[in-house]
Amino acid sequence: MDAIEVHDLHKRYGDRVAVDGVGFTVRAGSVTGVLGPNGAGKTTTVECVAGLRRPDRGTVRVLGLDPWRDRRAVRAVLGVQLQEAALHDMLTAVELVRLHRSLHRSGRDPADLLDAVGLTEQARTRFDRLSGGQQQRLSVALALVGAPRVVILDELTTGLDPRSRDAILEVVRELAADGVTVLLVTHRTDEIERLCDRVLLLDAGRVVADSTPAGLVEQAGLAQRVRFRTSGGYDRTALLHLPGVGEVQRVGEEITVSGTGDLLGPVGAELVRQGVVATGLREERPSLDDAFLELTGRRLETGRDTEVLV
Amino acid sequence: MTTTHGNRATGTPLAGWLALVGAEARMVARDTAGLIVPFALPLLILTMVGLTMPDVGPEALDGRTPLEVAGIPIAAATVLGLIGVVNVPSFLAAYRRTGVLRRLGVTPAGAVPVLVAQTVVGLAQALAGIGLALGVAVLGFGAGMPTSPWVAAGGLLLATAAFFALGALVAALAPTTNSVLAIGLVIFLGTGAVGGMFGDPSALPGPLAEIGKVLPFGATVQVLGAAWRGVPPELGSVLGLAVTALVAAAGAARWFRWG
Repeated sequence: MDAIEVHDLHKRYGDRVAVDGVGFTVRAGSVTGVLGPNGAGKTTTVECVAGLRRPDRGTVRVLGLDPWRDRRAVRAVLGVQLQEAALHDMLTAVELVRLHRSLHRSGRDPADLLDAVGLTEQARTRFDRLSGGQQQRLSVALALVGAPRVVILDELTTGLDPRSRDAILEVVRELAADGVTVLLVTHRTDEIERLCDRVLLLDAGRVVADSTPAGLVEQAGLAQRVRFRTSGGYDRTALLHLPGVGEVQRVGEEITVSGTGDLLGPVGAELVRQGVVATGLREERPSLDDAFLELTGRRLETGRDTEVLV
Repeated sequence: MTTTHGNRATGTPLAGWLALVGAEARMVARDTAGLIVPFALPLLILTMVGLTMPDVGPEALDGRTPLEVAGIPIAAATVLGLIGVVNVPSFLAAYRRTGVLRRLGVTPAGAVPVLVAQTVVGLAQALAGIGLALGVAVLGFGAGMPTSPWVAAGGLLLATAAFFALGALVAALAPTTNSVLAIGLVIFLGTGAVGGMFGDPSALPGPLAEIGKVLPFGATVQVLGAAWRGVPPELGSVLGLAVTALVAAAGAARWFRWG
């Protein structure tokens, strides 16, 4: 069953086309990452899914409901953490969780939830006196307070220190284990690799890749590389004739063998056969970041850059 | 998997409304400056009028004192103006500016209840402020109750509607919290200046005094003063309040932006 279905979504702001025919489905109980450069249409897409914006064209369904027309029904089953949304800043953490809990007919226990995001000690601290990371964790807690079946998290770890980040990612992992569907907008490929079953790559308002994280790297068609160092000679031609090898380059003492498929085993065996004394033999797999660069022609911006741009 | 979501009751629970009113009350109570001014300023005005009351013959004001006919009405209009046109709209503008409305927009309750809750708290605060001013006038300066209590009650309701609708319009049109403060204060002080806040408006040039009596501040003072004296309020003042309430409310509903 698909928890989220988006078909042929279009949205423009004046002359600027933000989303230009986006389509994807998210299986119930899966964690799907939405990756893309700034202005790719990520936030507009999730805002349409959240029922905050009305699409110009196309259909959006959350658990079979139209988030714009059936707003009330969708809000009862959908939890949203927004990138630019503040809270009543003079209320304390526990007052805010209780307030938002009371806006839902059913949901999670406020104290348990504060504990889950590690804010028990700050329960009686006013929102405007929490640190940025603590505010972020509270906003994740509020997205979960109605015990939603589908959760949208937009840049949830921006501004978090590594320890808070790990704690929040653990909360997301537990959600997924409970069968909650998660749509995660992020700039961080490491989060995608750690959490996501699927990744959607958006660029210029379109889906340019829709795959598993590993599949995305494969789709980018980037060369695998094996590097080693040797001070003596070696048989370059024999290496070039190994299956999958496309190129062998030498810079000083470092030799780089690039090509496709699994190169480490065959290159290692060939070096042993030639009796070459090689050090530092290692494989470099292209990362999700490399795939991103290849597929969009752009480097991934970090969350920090976004804040500066905003 | 939830398969019954379509049948789930989706209205805002009563507990949600109460919690929102409680939250708004806390926000207002913790905003010390915003809390004190609408209580302190009218008391100051009232005290000054009470202490400097000119000696007028009893027949001039149908047997009532200047404190009753002008002081209490000016204090009430000051409370309503500060809360309705300055305080409530600046909360609403801040909620829009910082994304509180957006955040509430994705809860099952939506963002409308928070506007209602903030208005409810503003009304309660206005009631408390007017009650306090009245209490001081009665206990401190020996003021009596209005001769026509129903005119006073009706006038107060109409004045409340006018000031709060005007505030909603300010919140709808002003882009930032600071511009709400600026526009709200200009409206409050401007209508106050021609409405008797700084002294007897009959000393103003004729047309200005006439305009002042129709604008919310002066209209409130006129209608409440008439209620204390027991004379019928001027039609222009009553209509001024009613038209302000209707036109401003319609404009606010038309132009209010959520994000």
